[in-house]
Amino acid sequence: MNALRILYHMARADFLERTRRYSFLVMLGLVLWLGYLSASGQFRMRVPPDYLGVINSAWVGATMTITVTLLLGWVGFYLVKGSVSRDYETGVGQIMATTPLSRPLYTVGKWFSNFAVLGLMILILLGVGIAMNLLAGTAEFDLWALTAPLLFIALPCMAIVAAVAVLFETIAWLRGGLGNILYFFIFIFAMVASAEGMLSPAAADKSYSSFLDFAGWRLIGESVTHAAQMAYPESAGGFAFSITDLANPKMFVWNGIDWTAEVILPRFFFLLAAIGVALLAAVFFDRFNPSRVLPAKNRPTASNHPEPAPAPAVMPVSIPHLTPLTGPSDHFRFAALFVAELKLFLKGQRWWWYAIALGLIAAQLFSELEITRILLVVSWTWPILILGGLGSRETRHDTRQIVFSAPHPLLNQLPAAWLSAFTILALMGSVALVRFILAGDTLGLLGWITGVLFIPSLALASGVLTGSSRAFEVIYILWMYMLTQKVPQFDFIGMTPESTWYIYAPLAGVLLIAAAFARQRQLTNRRVSR
Amino acid sequence: MKLTIEHLSKQYRRDFWGLRDFDLELGPGVTGLLGPNGAGKSTLMRMLATITQPTGGTIRWNDTDIARSPDTLRAVLGYLPQDFGVYPNLTGLEFLEYMAAIKGLDAKSARRRIDELLTVVNLVHAAKRPLGGYSGGMKQRVGIAQALLNDPQLLIVDEPTVGLDPEERVRFRNLLSDLSGERIIILSTHIVSDVEATATEIVVVNKGRKLQHAAPEKLLQMLENKVWQWLAPSEELSAIKQKHILSGTVRRNDGIQVRVVSDAAPTSTAQCVSPSLEDVYLSLVSRNGAGQ
Repeated sequence: MNALRILYHMARADFLERTRRYSFLVMLGLVLWLGYLSASGQFRMRVPPDYLGVINSAWVGATMTITVTLLLGWVGFYLVKGSVSRDYETGVGQIMATTPLSRPLYTVGKWFSNFAVLGLMILILLGVGIAMNLLAGTAEFDLWALTAPLLFIALPCMAIVAAVAVLFETIAWLRGGLGNILYFFIFIFAMVASAEGMLSPAAADKSYSSFLDFAGWRLIGESVTHAAQMAYPESAGGFAFSITDLANPKMFVWNGIDWTAEVILPRFFFLLAAIGVALLAAVFFDRFNPSRVLPAKNRPTASNHPEPAPAPAVMPVSIPHLTPLTGPSDHFRFAALFVAELKLFLKGQRWWWYAIALGLIAAQLFSELEITRILLVVSWTWPILILGGLGSRETRHDTRQIVFSAPHPLLNQLPAAWLSAFTILALMGSVALVRFILAGDTLGLLGWITGVLFIPSLALASGVLTGSSRAFEVIYILWMYMLTQKVPQFDFIGMTPESTWYIYAPLAGVLLIAAAFARQRQLTNRRVSR
Repeated sequence: MKLTIEHLSKQYRRDFWGLRDFDLELGPGVTGLLGPNGAGKSTLMRMLATITQPTGGTIRWNDTDIARSPDTLRAVLGYLPQDFGVYPNLTGLEFLEYMAAIKGLDAKSARRRIDELLTVVNLVHAAKRPLGGYSGGMKQRVGIAQALLNDPQLLIVDEPTVGLDPEERVRFRNLLSDLSGERIIILSTHIVSDVEATATEIVVVNKGRKLQHAAPEKLLQMLENKVWQWLAPSEELSAIKQKHILSGTVRRNDGIQVRVVSDAAPTSTAQCVSPSLEDVYLSLVSRNGAGQ
């Protein structure tokens, strides 16, 4: 009983702390918008090429569920991740460590609070669905048909996401940017596994394991396909989720999944699995004990391994003479600041980071031009964790007060930081640049220039605006993934002939102005200080 | 060299003022800013350091309004905030080089100044170690060094001795005294002994308002013949607290020696003693009520 009380209060405090944050309001706005897009039929499930369900409660509920599992399953991780880190950073964790709170109770409590935040979003989405369904009035309102997929599919999926967020936070090397990037790929892989056999009609005969279908895509997809094939026997099946407009869709009625015990029970497996993952996190959780964290060789990372102070007996109490500075000290010494910023960027990287960076640069020399483009994407993705610090480093390390009280922080420090990121990217892509010039590849050259301008600007703007590296890491990794998939809308580096680099070059300027404007506000705003 | 503060106010919420209608004029020397927690000291410091904008009033550095032209002050400002962080992957030396570049020092001056400052703050031995491995006191000393990098004309230090061991505290006090000749130093603290050792002027702040601004001698004169000490039975302590401003107690085997601030002798056995700044501070703050 006492454990439940601890669990409740821990989850409650954590939930309240998070829901009172600005980022939660932003996410809430996004969820409302997603709810509107799903319920109004702008996000649509379809059976390829053009078979579309009539908008009714079941269809809206399922569309919302797919939206939630796809978007909240991805972004939701980044939203809820951070509660354990916060306990480390604020020192609250060390206070907790002195209480009888057990490790499993802590991780399950954190999972529960993560789950509550994501669950609240689903609840809001459901509200939007009900309102939209009642207002649209195209079909009879059926609360069960609307609610059930969110309840049995989206909610267990969010339970898994909430638990994975706790697991990542308790494993020291997954707590930061590396974990953020890794989750993206794990999520993509898990979604593919979940929908295995559903996305293409040719693979539809593959055996279905409901215990792999954590996002419920196959469960919904099979039912929808079946309904389409009943109405249109010529349909080849398959399942898609898109925002594409269909000129003359062939409509069919889908009344939802038949929620039998056989269907529902596997969904509870995911809830249990989520609790299992949260308990697994307890194994890795160091209970805020710094001695359990083994620092990398020659690389102290935190103040929890302080060097011993020198023996007091040898310290002279008298003060040595300080030579007065003679010249004025407010000159604009950009070169020195640029070198200092560059050093700040590159410090703390291990030898293998540089080795891989050099390897990527060298590989651009020996590959075919098309492969060089791919290598350029990889080379520019490699420093993602460094770039993430641009604009947010002062907040993250709490150096704002001393950095911002120096002369001309907007005109000196911000451009120097941007230029150092630009330099790193230019170096990482230097061989590709030479190759594009020698080959007379104008598109490659324009894309390269756009890239070295756009990426630091994006990093700087998101860092200054959010005060964290997370937004950039999330956006950037998705962006670079889209580049490897050659999606023209995301193509700012000339991967495809349809590249939209000409949009991103001026956008870089807009982002820089936004970053400068936001920093200017921070310099004069009370929020800079605690 | 003059720092003038006129009608300075900072309102955080509709019903909460961090600082209200604050006036002050400072010249070269060390000014100790004393006040209980939440008195408004850090709010004042942050506005002086151009970090926070005032809600009302003006701060002028040599007649230049720093709200309009903050860089005029920033060029000659050294600031040690109460809470600050460092970049854990940089060594102490690299961090100071970075801060020197940000403050616009040329390479030669920066190198010499950093070498001297590392000696001054006793960090020569640790200069090439990453800051992530520094103890709290060592980080505080790095903070002190960065504040002095540009040989500031206005040095603002907010709770500078927090985390320092007794010997380092003495060193820092000596350093402030050495530096105080031709610059304005504002030292904010609630440790009266730090101010007692260094300040040429003292400002007592409470509830966002200035209670007193005077030289330490003047403040001490205010309590001349008003501080009393006597031996009382332990059970009377609570009653004494109710009646007088209690500024100190020492437990003894025959009772408790109490020290109070009172206009008249509290008992026939009470002896009048010389006032200390601690007595003055407690007397001023107690009469004004507790902090916010």
